[in-house]
Amino acid sequence: MTITETTIAVPALQAAELYERLLHDPTLFILDVRNPDDFRRWRVEGRAGLESLNIPYYEFLEDEDGAIARLPRGREVLVVCAKEGSSQYIAELLQQRGNKAAYLQGGIMSWGNYYHVRPIVTTADGQLVQVARPARGDVSFVIISAGQATIIDPLRHTSHYLEIVREAGATLTAIFDTHVHADHISGGPALAQATGAPYYVHAYDAIHPIDMLPARIAYTTLEDGQVFRIGQLTLTALWFPGHTLGQMNFRLTAPDGASYLFTGDGIFLRSFGRPDLGGKGETWTPLLYESIYQRLPRYVDDTTLILPAHFSDLDEGGADGRFAMPYSALLQTNDGLAPRTLAQFTTYVLGNLPVFPPQYVEIKRVNIGLATPDEAQADELELGKNICALSH
Amino acid sequence: MDTAYDQTLDVKGAKCPLPLVKSRKAIGELAVGQVLRVVATDRGSVADFQGWAKTAKNVELISQETGQEAGQDLYIHYLRRTS
Repeated sequence: MTITETTIAVPALQAAELYERLLHDPTLFILDVRNPDDFRRWRVEGRAGLESLNIPYYEFLEDEDGAIARLPRGREVLVVCAKEGSSQYIAELLQQRGNKAAYLQGGIMSWGNYYHVRPIVTTADGQLVQVARPARGDVSFVIISAGQATIIDPLRHTSHYLEIVREAGATLTAIFDTHVHADHISGGPALAQATGAPYYVHAYDAIHPIDMLPARIAYTTLEDGQVFRIGQLTLTALWFPGHTLGQMNFRLTAPDGASYLFTGDGIFLRSFGRPDLGGKGETWTPLLYESIYQRLPRYVDDTTLILPAHFSDLDEGGADGRFAMPYSALLQTNDGLAPRTLAQFTTYVLGNLPVFPPQYVEIKRVNIGLATPDEAQADELELGKNICALSH
Repeated sequence: MDTAYDQTLDVKGAKCPLPLVKSRKAIGELAVGQVLRVVATDRGSVADFQGWAKTAKNVELISQETGQEAGQDLYIHYLRRTS
């Protein structure tokens, strides 16, 4: 049996190029040819104005003219599917019909596992590197100073971090998770095993909140106020319960007086971490209230750069995907931080809780060693964008 | 449960969109009312065949089953040509 012959070469776009275009190209148009359920579950998201359309590839097979008529005329289309086969097939068909088209190499799976690494602060005292997984809205950081390095909230694919540390010629002295994550698999325990550097998380988070079972991974507990040195820099662990019981913030201070707060899933740039993922939303909401309104002001000054572990959409990263903002600016833009009484805050929180993804219970098991998925299962658990923030 | 069929199409190892593209061609070669059995290894074929059968005017998806062969999962689809 012969398959359709390929005669026209169609440009393949890599995940890295897709990220650049999502950030900087307002003409980008995405045609997703997966089935509607997969599209609803997870799609390529960009800035607020990004245009995309879902027409499953089999609709092109059944009614080619009808499907093509739904596309914008004279505009290049980026075709996306699960792994790339169907998108290449449809992009070729579009090219043959005179429509400009490209396809996403490796499909949405390669986009989901794409990491973007960029330094966001470089001074004489050291460097702060942002390691983001833009498809998931996950952000992590490597801090480097005077030959020493630490990592905050490392994501699952650990090679990126090892490479950054190696290229900097630094020694990894500690690995921190701000809390035990529910939306993605941490790279922390694996990095600790690979390098011998200690893995730190607060002991409260080492108990699975739903199973009530203790961790089976090696970790060292964090204490409120505990201080670490990274070369010229000082890192202080600060308790910020609410999203989880053991949620920590890390305040980094430099000799030049600059300060940075890694908030994990405490506060985000446009929202804050939901308090219900441990199954105790109403009980934990007053803790979160205390953390946001009483603890946070003690951890920051106006110029402290706030660096959260997630974003909800690309616009939060400004013009070029830098997911950080000074505290004073944040107070102007983050409605979640507006003054509220506890009663108002509780109503606000409980009225804005998004769906609770069922796999989040399992991901927490994985993160404390109560479950060990293989690579394919891990990919499956991490499908989609994080839903750790309140809706807004 | 065994579903009766007239012809089998083996698309093991074929990746999306080939299982569906080949099935579409094969069903066009059947007489109206005949049933095609498609044996695939691509897991995505399960949802895609469901969506395709809803879209296509001449295809009915009778049933889908899973199986195992030499350590790999099989996804088996039974399709009837309806017109």
